[in-house]
Amino acid sequence: MNELLIEETQYTPSIKMSPEGQIEIKGKSYPENTFEFYKPVMVWLTDYFVQDSVPSLKVKFEITYFNSSSSKLFFDFFDLLNEHKDSVGITIDWCYDEENESAMEAGEDFIDDFPDLSIKLVTV
Amino acid sequence: MNIQSIKELTDKEGIVFLAYTGFLSQSLISAMMTSLEQETDYGGLNLGVSAHIYTIFIEMAQNMMNYSRDLTALDNSRKPEGIILVGKRLPEYYYVESQNVVDVSDMEKMEPKLAELQGMSNDEIKKRYRELRKSGRDKHDVGGGIGFYEIAKRCERLEYSFSPAENNKYFFNLKAIVPMKKGD
Repeated sequence: MNELLIEETQYTPSIKMSPEGQIEIKGKSYPENTFEFYKPVMVWLTDYFVQDSVPSLKVKFEITYFNSSSSKLFFDFFDLLNEHKDSVGITIDWCYDEENESAMEAGEDFIDDFPDLSIKLVTV
Repeated sequence: MNIQSIKELTDKEGIVFLAYTGFLSQSLISAMMTSLEQETDYGGLNLGVSAHIYTIFIEMAQNMMNYSRDLTALDNSRKPEGIILVGKRLPEYYYVESQNVVDVSDMEKMEPKLAELQGMSNDEIKKRYRELRKSGRDKHDVGGGIGFYEIAKRCERLEYSFSPAENNKYFFNLKAIVPMKKGD
């Protein structure tokens, strides 16, 4: 497994995925073609879970605002985590500014959609 | 055309941001977002309200970029152009409004969705949004297909109209009202 690093732009978040099991996604997300942009992320995650021995995974999301296709993509991302939750320890921090109610609501929705995933709301 | 009359109109309508884009691109949208962020920052707007305005703006702008038709063409070819603006009627609300060209088949697809959204409560919209978001990992078009729902769940009221234009096309107008939070 290699580390995946994507630098932040005005419309895409910084992404860091390390083979030791740390994922950090931080910034804004409204790419022109969301699914193309996040393809390496989904590929990396898929590969991560097929290793011989999979380290437990700590995921941190901190997204200020995002478009609807990013929201769909994040759902798919959580869905993939959900498939592997029984064999790999996974914890997710959904971080937001306490003034940003819609970011908080987005986190609450993911908690409702994936009740068996360990998603924690964290104010920053 | 007198440019002063645009100034008078924007003052009268409370417009704080107005863009007519002859050719809309992602880098232009991102530049508009930076300018809009400065405007809401300057206005001391609550981050929760700003985030709604940003997201609605992005949805409308990316819709225009991806789906607008060329008014002058006889066929259905695309042309990423339109008008988008943000205005305020303080202390009650902000609004985001866009206009672009669609063809008959676009209108037939969009109209029932928009009419349905207008009749739904905010809770119903949020529920439907989440149902649609679940619809399969590989089922993606350019957007997520949930753009109107994203806009609707972030505003208090959604207004739309289709006005006949030339070449079997329509001007599609969409307006989203975002109320201020109490205390802002």
